[in-house]
Amino acid sequence: MSTFLAQTEAMIATWHGIAAPNDPGRRLAAELAGTIAAFEKLRGTLVFEDEPASFEAALQATKEPAP
Amino acid sequence: MSNPADLSMTEAADAVRAGEVTSVALLEACWRRMDAVNPTVNATIWTDREGAMAAAQAADEAVRKRAKLGVLHGVPMMHKDMYYQAGKLSTCGSALRRDWRPTVTATVIERLAAAGAYTFGGLNMAEFAQNPTGHNKTFGDCHNPWNPPYITGGSSSGSGASVAARFNYMALGSDTGGSIRLPASANGVSGLKPTQTRVSRYGVMPLSFTHDNVGPLTRTVRDCARVMSVIAGHDPRDPTSAREPVPDYEAALTGDIRGVRIGVPLNVFFDGADPQVTATIEAALLVMKARGAVVTRLTLPLMDAVAAYGGIVSRVEAATIHAEWMRSDPQAYGAHISGRMYPGYAIPAPYYVESLSRRGPILRAFAAEVFAQVDVLVTPTIRTCLPTLAETDIDHGPPGTETKFMAVSANTRPFNYLGLPAISVPCGFDPHGCPIGLQIAGRPFAEARVMRVADAYQRDTDFHTKRSPLVGD
Repeated sequence: MSTFLAQTEAMIATWHGIAAPNDPGRRLAAELAGTIAAFEKLRGTLVFEDEPASFEAALQATKEPAP
Repeated sequence: MSNPADLSMTEAADAVRAGEVTSVALLEACWRRMDAVNPTVNATIWTDREGAMAAAQAADEAVRKRAKLGVLHGVPMMHKDMYYQAGKLSTCGSALRRDWRPTVTATVIERLAAAGAYTFGGLNMAEFAQNPTGHNKTFGDCHNPWNPPYITGGSSSGSGASVAARFNYMALGSDTGGSIRLPASANGVSGLKPTQTRVSRYGVMPLSFTHDNVGPLTRTVRDCARVMSVIAGHDPRDPTSAREPVPDYEAALTGDIRGVRIGVPLNVFFDGADPQVTATIEAALLVMKARGAVVTRLTLPLMDAVAAYGGIVSRVEAATIHAEWMRSDPQAYGAHISGRMYPGYAIPAPYYVESLSRRGPILRAFAAEVFAQVDVLVTPTIRTCLPTLAETDIDHGPPGTETKFMAVSANTRPFNYLGLPAISVPCGFDPHGCPIGLQIAGRPFAEARVMRVADAYQRDTDFHTKRSPLVGD
C-alpha cells in the first residue's frame, strides 16, 4: 500500500470513523492524488474575496436576455 | 387508433382531453407492453395496478362530466423511485430504504397531479442516484431496451428504459452529473436537465444539495416542454428554487432556428470520442445548419477548473449525507457506490469551499466569453459507443473498470457545475444498435431556446420515433 493511501485511510478513520469499504474504495482514494494535482494547477488563480460569491446571483447575471 | 402505448405523452394527453381515448385504455396499453418487455429490461421496482386503475377511472369520469382538465389529464406515469409520495414506497434504489415510506409528497409530484397525471409505479435507478450506468445490486441491473447487455445509462436508468420501451409516457429523473441526459442518450429518448434552481427539489431524495436537478425524460422534446411548463417555478418549500417567471415552453417550439449560433467545442468534449459518435454529431449539425443555424467552432475557457471543482462538490456532499450509513452499514451499498463515496471523506474543507466559492465567478467568466460568441453549445452526450454492463461493473470487474465507468459522464458533468440547462436528444445509433445522444446546452434559464433547437432537430429527423427491437413494429 502506498504511503499516500495509508495516510488517507488513517485520516478518514480518525476524522470520520469510516473504514475503507472495499478495494474500489481504496483505488479511488489513491486517485485523490490526481485531485491534488488538479488543484495545484489552479493555484494562483484565486483572488481574495471581500464579498461572498453567490452562484444564484451569477445565474441571474448571465441568464438569457429578455426578447 | 393503433396501440395507445405508442403515443407520445402530449398526444396521449390531448387524446384523453378530446375524448378520443380513455385513460383506462392508456393504462392498460402500458401494462400490456410492460408485461411483455419489462422482464428483459427490469425498469421497475414496484407497481400499483389497483391504485392506478382507480385514478384512470376517475380521470375518465372527469372527462365525461366535462370537468376542467389539466394539460396532462389522464396520463399514467412512473418516476425514478426517489420522488416521495406520502405513504408510498420510495426505495431510492437501495437496500437501506427497501421498505421506506415517506411522510411528504414531492412538489413536482403534486404539480403533475394537479395537471391531471397519476403514477402507476416506481422505476429502477442507481442506488441513491449514484452511478452513470444502471447497475443495481439490490433490485437488479437495468438493461438497455435496444441491446440488453449494454448499459441504460444512469442514474435514472428505469426512467430512460421505460420510456424507450414504450410502456411509460414520461418519467422524472434527477441529474447531479448527467443522470437525466445519460439515460436519455443511451435509451434514445429526450431528457432535459434544467438550470440549477429552475425546478423544486422538495420531497426529492438528495444526493448533492448544490448540484441536484429535477427534470423529465420523454419520447419527444415537445413532451419535455409540456412537463417543464407544469413543474418549473418557485416553490416556497424549496427556498433554493428560483423566482424566475416560467415561460410557455411549448409555445417556444416554433421550429425557427434561423440565425441561432451553435457552438461546437474544440476542447474536452470530443477528446477520445469514437469516430461513429463524432460523425453522428457532425451529421446532426448539418441538419441544424439546413434550418438556418450558424455553426461555430470554439475553445471553451476554464474547463480545467470546471473539472477540478466540479469533481469535488458532489463527492463531498454525497459522502456527508451518507456518513451514518457508511459507518454503520457500508456493505449494504454496492461496492461501486460505497467505493466512490469513500474518498469524499478525505477531501479537505478548503477544497470544498474553494470549489463552491469559485462556482459563481467561473460561471460569469464562462458565460461572458462563450455566450458572446454562441447561443447554444452542441456536444455528444456520451463521447463513446455505449459500453456493456459487464465492461463497467466495478463490483465484479478488474482494477481499471472505474475508468470506463467514469468516462460515461465526462460530457455531462461540466454543465452541472456551471448550472446550465442541457438536453439530450437521440441522433443516431452506434455499431451495436445502441442510441447516440446529442447534447444541447444554453445560458441559465434558456430552457426555451435549448428546447427550440432540439425540437427543430426532431422536426427534420426521425430518431426519436424509432422503436427498439424489443418493442417491435
